[in-house]
Amino acid sequence: MTPAQQPSYLKYFAIWGWLVALLVAGTLSPLLPFSRRGVILFILLIALVKAALVSLFYMHLKFEKIVPLWVVAVFPFFLITLAILVLLLGSVFR
Amino acid sequence: MTTLAQAQDTTTGIPSAKLGMWLFLASEVMFFTGLIGAYIVLRAGMSSWPHLGEELSIPAAAINTFLLLTSSMTMAMGVAAVHRADVKKLRLFLALTILLGSAFLGVKGWEYSVKFAHGHFPGTAIFWDCYFMLTGFHGLHVLGGVIANLWILRLTLGQDFSERRGHLVEISGLYWHFVDLVWIFLFPLLYLI
Repeated sequence: MTPAQQPSYLKYFAIWGWLVALLVAGTLSPLLPFSRRGVILFILLIALVKAALVSLFYMHLKFEKIVPLWVVAVFPFFLITLAILVLLLGSVFR
Repeated sequence: MTTLAQAQDTTTGIPSAKLGMWLFLASEVMFFTGLIGAYIVLRAGMSSWPHLGEELSIPAAAINTFLLLTSSMTMAMGVAAVHRADVKKLRLFLALTILLGSAFLGVKGWEYSVKFAHGHFPGTAIFWDCYFMLTGFHGLHVLGGVIANLWILRLTLGQDFSERRGHLVEISGLYWHFVDLVWIFLFPLLYLI
């Protein structure tokens, strides 16, 4: 990331606002009139969006153009997401 | 060439220290994947499991999530302050990050004390084994991040910090955000699902 690409303080604050809104939505989601499976999927989806916001904007992955860094950074996160989804979906939908 | 530029110079196109931290984080991802995977498999194999909010305090965990998310913002702002060579703001944001991380540990310590008072310890039941294992290891990582940031805050008191050691803030920031990422998954898995 070049200094010119450095997001402003306001941008970081706006991302924080989204993260807090998602936190509130995720915390209150068990109260929604969905099935248990629906609530679990909704909560996982919110967690994934929050993780994406943190990694893209706070860890600056959005501004990294270097392919090896993306491979090193993103591949393990892809694996953990896949592992958790497979295990969770396996236990929820069995 | 400045010392900061030298620290970021590399033949791979990625600053060596940054690449090292990313590789370390990749190993940490595998570590936590193992723990979380064990938790899911153990939980799926149990015939009964505490209901939502029955044993664990959701408000306390939500407050802790809020603290970590806010600390991620202040850490990112600290990195931005380094790029602007604004050491005063860097100190402010680092201090806020340390404060928020310490508050997280304080809330977690309070949660632990309540569990201990009710006779819940590691080894009491599978549920408590999982809870203390996952939150304990995560808490140790938060403590490590707080200590690293305290060390960097002390370094900022020296001369020419931004020029000579500014890259340390970015490296420490990556670690701090990773700790936040882990909690983003632990919070719903342990408290909400």
